[in-house]
Amino acid sequence: MSQRHFGYQDKILLLQHGCSELLALAQRRGALLHKLLSGTGIFEQDLHKPLGRLHYSDWLTLLKNCQQQLNSPELPYLLGNALLNSRYISLCQSLHYAQNLRQALSQLYYFRHQLFPCFYARLYRQQHGIVIEIKPAMGLANQDGFMLGLLFALILNLIKQQLGTVNGISLQLQHDASAMQQQFFGVEVSFNQAADSLCIPFSLWQQPFADANVEQLSAKIRSCRQLNRMLDKQRALPELICRLQQRALPQLLSQEQVAAMLGLSSSSLKRQLSQHQTHFAALVDSVRRDAARHLLQQGQYSNRQLASRLGYSDEHNFRRAFKRWTGVIPSSFKDLFNTH
Amino acid sequence: MWRQHRYKILLSLILLLCGLLLALNTGAAKHSSEFDALDILGEGTTLLVACGWLGLIISSRPAGRVTEWLYYGSLLLVFSYFLDLLDEFIRYPEQFRLMSWLESLPAPVGMLVLTYGLVGWHREQRAINRQLRGRELFLRDHQLIDPLTQLYGADYLHAVLQREIELHLSQHRTLCLLVLDIDDFAGFNRHHGIAAGDTYLSRLSELLSSQLRHSDVICRYAGDRFVAVLPNTTPQQAQIMAQHLRQQITQLVSAGDAPQLTVAGMTVQQHSAQAALQQTDIAIKQAKAGSALKLRPEL
Repeated sequence: MSQRHFGYQDKILLLQHGCSELLALAQRRGALLHKLLSGTGIFEQDLHKPLGRLHYSDWLTLLKNCQQQLNSPELPYLLGNALLNSRYISLCQSLHYAQNLRQALSQLYYFRHQLFPCFYARLYRQQHGIVIEIKPAMGLANQDGFMLGLLFALILNLIKQQLGTVNGISLQLQHDASAMQQQFFGVEVSFNQAADSLCIPFSLWQQPFADANVEQLSAKIRSCRQLNRMLDKQRALPELICRLQQRALPQLLSQEQVAAMLGLSSSSLKRQLSQHQTHFAALVDSVRRDAARHLLQQGQYSNRQLASRLGYSDEHNFRRAFKRWTGVIPSSFKDLFNTH
Repeated sequence: MWRQHRYKILLSLILLLCGLLLALNTGAAKHSSEFDALDILGEGTTLLVACGWLGLIISSRPAGRVTEWLYYGSLLLVFSYFLDLLDEFIRYPEQFRLMSWLESLPAPVGMLVLTYGLVGWHREQRAINRQLRGRELFLRDHQLIDPLTQLYGADYLHAVLQREIELHLSQHRTLCLLVLDIDDFAGFNRHHGIAAGDTYLSRLSELLSSQLRHSDVICRYAGDRFVAVLPNTTPQQAQIMAQHLRQQITQLVSAGDAPQLTVAGMTVQQHSAQAALQQTDIAIKQAKAGSALKLRPEL
């Protein structure tokens, strides 16, 4: 495993990549700067340094402070918009110059450690379009709603600006409905779903962008690459473990095996995971849950086949686990999905 | 807020210190076997609560006449309770009456002063309510206020609209809504930056709330959309108000490079706030599809 991972305490974010914008937004809404920064390691005088960095945990504390001080549900959407059009983020500028949505999103995904190290995505194909499923790559300390809002706002705004329409796009969210969100996204949103995902119809993927520009794009990509020297292309530990387990299915990895693959000791793996507010068994369980859902959505597998693909000893155990994840047994889940 | 009241904090500390010194000077400490735990607990709690009031007054109120009355009333109470607590620990000579006067006199005086202050607070609140007209209707919940525009948000609108619909249905009166939508606000934000967008929104909300009648309330329904509830209003009146708002808005727009607004009016015929608010989406879409700044004819 050549890929490195970052610890919970590494400084992996640039202040310019969201932090200063968020502070400006919050201050215009009456929040006090010293209260926003309390509990974080950010100093006021560092805010304007072009290459100032911060810990991810500081960013999460900052978000928490913001929500404590302000009741402003529009904040993630405004911030998403501000990031997308920021002059200081070459990654976001490069998105505008891409040929089409496919290129823009793969660019965003390739450099995601610069802006959204907290998420990773999986793509799969459905009847009407391609579904991007967003998964948390690290412990988000209850800020996943905000971060998802931010990410989706950024992507949807990009599509709106470049293609002029968001028709046909639908959004599935895991958490409960709130009145405001529907308004902000401007697309069809369904709540209490099994995963956070964005479904984009095939027709939008290849449509050329309004601002497509090959020269500008390559210039921006160059500056993204330069930035890589400062912000290493690293992934979060929970994400790496999920990927390893995903690849190893139907075989189940043990904590010791994974630790050895990542070049860590078993106890340090455990300690680092606890910093992300998770543990090894929970990650393996989530991988199996997602795999089961995908297989069920894909086609007609029997419970016995599913059990063997997911590394369960028999189908009874699989059925029990599935009931625990979703509250329904696999066959009724299949019905539920097929009727949609 | 407390920074405005530095000298007051200093004064109360000095006063309490004087009381303590006076008590120490005249009396002698009791033996620990004479302490009455229950009395100390009761009087200590009263003192703490009174101190808490003092702190809340200082930290929440701007300087002014009403604040002075409230503050000095509570200070006298605190002083009296403080001496009350002290005499649990200190015994005064029998013939020395000053301490017991100091203990019992300030409390009723303080209560009177505090009451006078509360009457002033009541009057002040009525004045503030007048000031808030157009921004608030029957319900107050400061957590629902949008921090940028200082208008209430969608949740508040929902609650108020539901109540008004029920009232109007039972009394057979007409309820109208005005919907205001900023045209291409995302584009404005993109070209001028979010900061300019925020400034525009707060100026706009200031203008809108000043142009409505006292019985109306305007809320920020979404990022770029405002909804005004007009109780007891006929469609014709609503149309006049919409026209008036448009004129006012043109002044704001002509002042700078600001986006246009679409204003649409509608009569509420639905029986739930949810349905009525969904109808506003349709109304605004139709208004935009037709010529901009034009009211729906069937209103």
